Amino acid sequence: MTPKERVLGLLKKEKIDRVPCFSGMGNVTVEGMKKYNIKFAEVHKNAEDMAKLAASTYKLYGYECAVVPFDLCLEAEALGSEINWYAHVEDNILYPTIKTKLVKAGDEVNIPDDLEERGRLPMIKEVIGLLKDDIGDEVPIGSYVLGPFTLAGQIMDLNELLKISFKRPDDVNRILTGLVDVATRVAKLEKEAGADYITIREMGAPSDVISPRMFKTLVQPHLIKTIEGIEAPRILHICGNTNPIVELMNECGADAISVDQKNDLVQTRQKIGDDTILLGNLDPYNVLVQGTVQDVENAVKDVIEKGVNGIWPGCDIWPDVPPENMKALVEATEKYGKLS
Amino acid sequence: MSEDKKKELLEELKEGVINYDEERVKKAAEEWIKNGFDANEGIFEGLAAGMEVVGDLFEKNEYFVPEVLMCADALYAGLDILRPHVKIDESKERLKGEVVIGTVEGDVHDIGKNIVKLMFETAGFTVHDLGKDVPLEKFVEEQMRTDSDIVALSAMMTTTMVGMKKVVEKIKEKNPNVLILLGGAPLSEDIAKKYGADGYAPDASNALSEALRMVSTLREMKKKGEI
Ligand code: B12
Repeated sequence: MTPKERVLGLLKKEKIDRVPCFSGMGNVTVEGMKKYNIKFAEVHKNAEDMAKLAASTYKLYGYECAVVPFDLCLEAEALGSEINWYAHVEDNILYPTIKTKLVKAGDEVNIPDDLEERGRLPMIKEVIGLLKDDIGDEVPIGSYVLGPFTLAGQIMDLNELLKISFKRPDDVNRILTGLVDVATRVAKLEKEAGADYITIREMGAPSDVISPRMFKTLVQPHLIKTIEGIEAPRILHICGNTNPIVELMNECGADAISVDQKNDLVQTRQKIGDDTILLGNLDPYNVLVQGTVQDVENAVKDVIEKGVNGIWPGCDIWPDVPPENMKALVEATEKYGKLS
Repeated sequence: MSEDKKKELLEELKEGVINYDEERVKKAAEEWIKNGFDANEGIFEGLAAGMEVVGDLFEKNEYFVPEVLMCADALYAGLDILRPHVKIDESKERLKGEVVIGTVEGDVHDIGKNIVKLMFETAGFTVHDLGKDVPLEKFVEEQMRTDSDIVALSAMMTTTMVGMKKVVEKIKEKNPNVLILLGGAPLSEDIAKKYGADGYAPDASNALSEALRMVSTLREMKKKGEI
């Protein structure tokens, strides 16, 4: 099987030979940057370099996907936010962030008719096309969008958003309804460009931030609409403590759900049953970057035993992951992931 | 009679904060002043006592970030009324110290930092909040400008965390007596030590006790004339 057949087979619940080793989130590495002499701070606006770097983790290690973009600012930028690229930072990898908040919390968000033409959206389309041409026959291309609540936190003051979510939920519901549109339009652009699967990242809504009650009343309804509006396969990802909300995540209608290392996989399996495709949990920093080859192998074995259906790190892989650990990740998946 | 009234109002201030009821806190604070009670007592035995309970509720996962932020608004509403009535010399005496706080460059995760800041303010520290994604030099400048006792740095990512080491070095170089407190999910006691910091805490309430411990050591040393 090719990585593409394996990943898409998994997401369609077809029979596959072993669990795939892939992700729907960031997975570029310092080794990849060295290989093509690319600076992280400059790659976000250069289509060719971005495509090269996205494909490099497959080419270097056999990691079974290529995912773009690498940051969380795509939608906010297209809506008009100014981005900090950290071009001046030489000796460190910093992820782009949003410089100033676009609107006052609670205010109407103006969604331009020509959203698809704004910011880096045309470029992302191009990058996905380049990836398709390069490795698209054998490797699945992934892309992602932010969940509406997390996107709201990117374009307005998060503290204020959290407070009005409590005090004026109607206002927030109205805003989130508009942002569902943004998420589905961006996902559609990514899909039409050739993305094989879309991850919806709602990392602003774990239970270390908001209550499960607020998740259910304010976040879940918009996630359901977002997922409805995106062509399958779709993976819903939330970072942080997801133990109290994993059943609610499972009700959102995604083809798979993804959690990070704070999730108790065994309990989650009991709660959601065996039908749902469950991904994640493998610690992208403490194991992949800090751990030894043996730690990585143990972690792969452990998460498979606890019931994940794919080896997929709990969040973006940290670029300075040691090459031997990336190799171990892929090899351990081949070793322990066989499906009879 | 007046003791009863006092007790009743303190309870109102406290409960108003816990139930994030700004109006209730304002009303109680105004009555407190009208009765001629001591402003400082209202702040610490009423408002701050309420916020302490809020901190516990957060740690127990009964309150979440939005609830804590609303409690903070209730607290600030009360502070706005009571603070102008605090006697100057008393406010100096009560002052625990000054803190510069911020999330380091490249990092926009500020939810945790904001909660730590809140605990400091509640306890009577004067807090200079630089916000998030703060250029490393800015911490050094702000410490010098305010002559703060403590610089508290937050980072939620392993890449931005390394920036803390540089801040510690730069500050200690200018002024070795400034106390530096580090926190945020990727940090640990060991890392904080390795970076040359004076303290570390895993959560907001420990951040506060750690800060208090550091400041009292500093004062102790100053008293003895060691620094
Ligand atoms: C919410 C969130 C976001 C929000 C942040 C919103 C905001 N304004 O803060 C958004 C969506 C913007 C975001 C963005 C990103 N995120 Co994020 N995010 C999270 C998440 C889910 C929760 C963090 C949180 O707020 N927790 C709740 C608060 C209350 O807890 P806390 O921050 O830990 O604070 C407590 C203590 O740490 C301590 N404390 C905190 N500060 C201080 C300071 C002092 C002095 C002291 C003493 C104590 C102290 O006290 C606090 C209260 O108890 C975590 C997941 C996780 N597992 O933690 C990921 C996480 C932090 N994010 C991560 C990543 C990778 C990113 C991105 C790089 C993704 C990308 N590809 O762009 C970007 C980074 C952008 C940037 N350059 O900063 C990773 C970091 C991995 C790593 N090892 O470095 C995490 C850990 C997710 C994961 N599972 O891997 N994220």
